[in-house]
Amino acid sequence: MDAPADTLNYFIGGYGFIFGVMAIYLVSLVVRFRNLRQDEKNLEEMEEK
Amino acid sequence: MKALSNFWRAMLAIVWKDLATEWRSRELISAMLVFALLVIFIFNFALELTPQTRNDVTSGVLWVTLTFAGTLGLNRSMAVEKDRGCLDGLLLAPVDRTAIYFGKTLANFIFMLLVAAIILPFYSVLYNTNLFVGGLLLVIVLGAWGYVSIGTLLASMAVQARTRDILLPILLFPVTVPLVVAAVKASSGYLKLLDQVEITPWLSLLIVFDLIFTAIAFLVFDSVVEE
Amino acid sequence: MNAKSKWLSVLDVVSIAGFVAAASMVFFYAPMERVMGLVQKVFYFHVATAWIGMLSFFVAMVAGIIYLATHRTRPDAMKWDIVAVAGVEIGLVFTLICIVTGSIWARPIWNSWWTWDPRLTTVTIMELAYAAYLMLRAGIEEPERRARFGAVYSIIAFISVPLTFFSIRIWRTIHPVVIGGSDPSASGAFDMTPRMLQTFFTSLVAFSFLYGSLLWHRIRMGQLAAKVEQLKLRLSE
Repeated sequence: MDAPADTLNYFIGGYGFIFGVMAIYLVSLVVRFRNLRQDEKNLEEMEEK
Repeated sequence: MKALSNFWRAMLAIVWKDLATEWRSRELISAMLVFALLVIFIFNFALELTPQTRNDVTSGVLWVTLTFAGTLGLNRSMAVEKDRGCLDGLLLAPVDRTAIYFGKTLANFIFMLLVAAIILPFYSVLYNTNLFVGGLLLVIVLGAWGYVSIGTLLASMAVQARTRDILLPILLFPVTVPLVVAAVKASSGYLKLLDQVEITPWLSLLIVFDLIFTAIAFLVFDSVVEE
Repeated sequence: MNAKSKWLSVLDVVSIAGFVAAASMVFFYAPMERVMGLVQKVFYFHVATAWIGMLSFFVAMVAGIIYLATHRTRPDAMKWDIVAVAGVEIGLVFTLICIVTGSIWARPIWNSWWTWDPRLTTVTIMELAYAAYLMLRAGIEEPERRARFGAVYSIIAFISVPLTFFSIRIWRTIHPVVIGGSDPSASGAFDMTPRMLQTFFTSLVAFSFLYGSLLWHRIRMGQLAAKVEQLKLRLSE
C-alpha cells in the first residue's frame, strides 16, 4: 500500500490562508468600527456648536 | 378586461415610441451594428479564425458580439429616457409600471434581433458558412429575450447611479453568464449538427433562465423606478 | 447606538470556543486521509465556509425581500438594508476563503490550481455578482435609493447561489459531492470515517455560531454607519 501523498505544505498554506483572511476581516471590522465611533463623536460635537 | 387592454396599449405605445425615435435618428442601431462588426473583426485577428478552428468558436464569437452590442444598446436606451426626463414623464403617466417595463424590454429585444439579423448574413459571407439554421435562430430569440429581460431592469438601475457608464456590464455580466453559456452551447450544438438529445438540456436551461429573469424583473421593476 | 447586548457577548465566547474546538479537531483529532495526505484536512473548513457563504447570501436576499415589501409602509425598514449589506459582505469573505482553499487543495489532487469545472465557474460567478452588488451601492449616494437598488440586486444575484449549489449535481464535474453521492467522474472523493464525520459536523456548527456573531457585529456597525451618515447629511444641509 502506498504511503499518503506528502501534502503538508498545501495543508499549511490552506489553513494559513483561512486564518489570515479571517484575521484581516476582524481587524477591518474593528478599525471601521473605531473610525465610525470617532466620526460620530466629531459630528456630534460639530452639531452642538 | 379593460385593464388588460390598457396594459397592452401602453406597452405597444412605448415600443412604438422607441421604434419611431430610432427610425428618425438611427443612432442606436448604427452604433450597435458598427460596434458588433468591430468586435467580429477583433476576434478574427485575436483568434486567427482559420477554417479549422472556426467551427468550434463561431457560436462563442457570435454570442460575445451580440451581448456586447446588447449592453451598448441597453445602456443607451435607458440613458436617453433618463437624460431627456422622459422616464419621469412615463412614470407620471397613469399606466401600469409593468407595462413600461415590458414596453422597454420589447423594444430592446427588437433592437437586439435586428442586430442579429444583420450580423448573421454578414458573418456567413465573411466566413463562408451558413448560419441560417432553424435551431440557431430559436436559440438567438430565447437568449436575446433572457438577456434584455434582465438587462432592461439592470440598465434602469444603472442609469440612476453616479457610476452609470461603467456599472451596467458589471451588474449584467455575472447574472447573465450562465444564460450566455447555455446559449453558446446550444448554438454550437446546432451548428455542429449534434443530436437534439444533446442540445435539449441547454435549451431547457435557456427557457428556465428566460422565465426566472422575466418573473423577477416583473416583480421588482416597480421598486426600481419609484420616486 | 445601543450598548452591546449581553447575548452578543455570550455568542462571541461560544463562537470563539467553537472555532478553537473545530480547529483543534481538524489538526489533532481527524485522521490523515490515506491517499491525499494532510491536504485533505482543508476540506473541513472549505465546506464550512462554502455553507456560510451561501447561507449569508440567502440572509441578504431575505432581508432584501423584506425591505422591498415594507419600505413603503414602515419607516424603520432601513434596518433590513443594513442586514442585507452585512450578509453580502460576510458572504463575500467566506466565499473567497472557500474558493482559495479549494484551489490550494486542487493543486496536489487535480494537479492544477484551477480547472474550468462547472462548480468552480459558478461559484466564481456568484462571488463576482456579489462584488457587483457592493459596486452598485458605492455608486449611489442617496440612502433610500441605495437600499432599494441593493435589495433588487440581492434578489437577482441570488440566482447564482442555487446554480452553484446544484451545479455539481446537474453537470458532469470532477468536483466531489459531499451530500448525496459523487458522480463517478469526480476526482478526489473519499469515504469519511466516523472521526472525520465528527470533525466535519463540528466545523459546520462552529462556523454557524461564528457567522451569527460576525453578522450581529456587522449589523451593529451598519447601524452606526447609518447614524453617522444621517449626521453628515444633517450637517451639510
